[in-house]
Amino acid sequence: MITSTPAPLLEADRLSIGYLPAGGDSGFIRKEISFTAERGELVALIGPNGSGKSTLLKTLTGFIPPLKGSVRWMGKPVGSYTPAELARLISYVSTENLRLPNMRVADLVAYGRFPYTGWLGRLREEDLQMVSTSIRKTGLSDFARREVITLSDGERQRALIARALAQNTPFILLDEPTAFLDVSAKYEIFQLLRQLARTEGKTILLSTHDLNIALREADKFWMLTPAGCTQGAPEDAVLQGWLSHLFTHPQIGFDKTGGDFYLKTEPAGTAQVKGQGDALIWTSRALTRLGFSVVTEENLPLPPLSITITGEEDPNHLRWLLHSGETPLTFSSLHALLSYLRQEMQKPG
Amino acid sequence: MTPINPILDRQRERGLFVLLAVLLGLFFIADILSGSVLLPAAEVLQALIHPSRAIETVKTIVLDFRLPKAITAVVAGTALSVSGLQMQTIFRNPLAGPYVLGISAGASLAVALFALGFAPLMTLGVTLSGSWPLAVVAWAGAFAVLLLVLFVSSRVNDNMTVLILGMLFSSAAGAVVSILQYFSSESMLKAFIVWTMGSLGSITTEQLTVVVPAIVAGILLALAKMKDLNAFLLGETYARSLGVPIFRSRLWIFLSASILAGTVTAFCGPIGFVGIAVPHLARVLFRTSDHRVLLPATLLLGANAMLLSDIIAQLPGLQATLPINSVTALLGIPIVIWMIIRNRKFATL
Repeated sequence: MITSTPAPLLEADRLSIGYLPAGGDSGFIRKEISFTAERGELVALIGPNGSGKSTLLKTLTGFIPPLKGSVRWMGKPVGSYTPAELARLISYVSTENLRLPNMRVADLVAYGRFPYTGWLGRLREEDLQMVSTSIRKTGLSDFARREVITLSDGERQRALIARALAQNTPFILLDEPTAFLDVSAKYEIFQLLRQLARTEGKTILLSTHDLNIALREADKFWMLTPAGCTQGAPEDAVLQGWLSHLFTHPQIGFDKTGGDFYLKTEPAGTAQVKGQGDALIWTSRALTRLGFSVVTEENLPLPPLSITITGEEDPNHLRWLLHSGETPLTFSSLHALLSYLRQEMQKPG
Repeated sequence: MTPINPILDRQRERGLFVLLAVLLGLFFIADILSGSVLLPAAEVLQALIHPSRAIETVKTIVLDFRLPKAITAVVAGTALSVSGLQMQTIFRNPLAGPYVLGISAGASLAVALFALGFAPLMTLGVTLSGSWPLAVVAWAGAFAVLLLVLFVSSRVNDNMTVLILGMLFSSAAGAVVSILQYFSSESMLKAFIVWTMGSLGSITTEQLTVVVPAIVAGILLALAKMKDLNAFLLGETYARSLGVPIFRSRLWIFLSASILAGTVTAFCGPIGFVGIAVPHLARVLFRTSDHRVLLPATLLLGANAMLLSDIIAQLPGLQATLPINSVTALLGIPIVIWMIIRNRKFATL
């Protein structure tokens, strides 16, 4: 891999992480991993559970010391920064679900100004300015006076990101920010983070299990694999087959065309599907789930199973015609078709 | 929830502070007026304002007994409540307090061991120079338990375990104290039992010259760390990421809490449920989680609560004074129960 800039904003060099108990080798979670991050990049840290994502984030933020190797922020080792200096360099959003009564969104965001205020924590005009800008940028203007405990999970995650924004640091680290969110909130958070990386020039690093979203939205992957840490564009991860390292289970595969994961199933035979558009794609997906290998070519020797889709122009008129025996059977939904096929497959012989 | 005007909040806050300050004055005078001997208000005030012109017996009762007791009530209530607030925030546990966590027990165990160990020395001609040694021993006992609780809570991330451990420790300390009593002389035994019931009235003016400066120092330390307490509310990770030097800051707060709870326990005996209940009253009244408001509020409320308890303990018509410990328990426990029901999940503050 070619790195263009000589000194990256964040660089880990042959870094070993973990918690050393009383000497010995047992405390190592990861050994000899190297990676970099640049200004304005949205980096997704990917790895299976227990691969050391949280430990890596804690090491990067200086909460725990590197066991070996180095972490450098803007060219300087993380250990050479004081806690106060780090607070102006990195802001952190933990994965913990904060439940704090008697705290308004504006109060929570104002926490971001903590490293900049005096011993009494009094907010000056510029601090208040920064708080309200952060609230606005995260789309929480209508929520500023709401209590944090009354927010939905997605709104609270936004508020925590606003807090990180108010800290006005070049780096934002987030530990699984999408873990407890519903699908639409997951996308909203990713979109917000990408926007902040683009427009504010922030370097944003997040750990996540939401691979399919990360594949679309992240600029870079850091992947914790058995070999160490591989980094590259998400598309590199797909093309070079790194994603397969994420799964130790042989039944899980990655569909390079669809950009998604699937469970491998027992082969059930070949099915020929005639049709077009979305109906064809989703019918093929459904049949694949049952274990059929789907073909769409016309001029094949007749397979045991042949399905024709009609009425694609109107979702209400979609029909599936199954030609397996003498008379074709008609189904008005994919569910009905699949139920029938499952029953047939379970019959002995 | 309807948005609340911040200016109205500020006015409400100020109004509450004025109200509490006025109440404090009223309760203080009421406390001096009440006692087992009914004295005319005019004479009591005379003794306070112009001691030289007052009747000798009234002067003695007011200046040597009632005034020190009222001052003790103020400082003890303040100290216990503030240390309760500190522990609830540091351990992020709404049920934490000097009594529940076993801090008071640690202080009393240390005092008991000291008294027993010192009794033989006294026969050898060694005398205590003032009350300072007693105070220092109590602080050490309180601090030791705090460190133990911190150690356990860093191992098991479970609020209930920490509370149960506190109770176990209290019982263990109680058992050791009982054994010590078994070996002590009859006069010491009576003193001990009276001491365990808690008393505001046994403090002499000479002891007050130790108690008041110690508690003022503890409060000043607490005020100096108000901003850090806010950060601890978000948890250790956030506090660190905001640039708080965790170890040092927590040590100062523990030192403050130990001085506050230890001093009160050494000189007044273990007084329960003030430290746990008062901070919750402050949160409910002031509707904030900001320690820059909560701490002064807890301080004032704690003084008021203890004065009120003392007034109740010696209501006119009662021949003897009730043990202060019973009064605070009967007042405090309903508040704690109400708080538990209100919060349902008392997982966080």
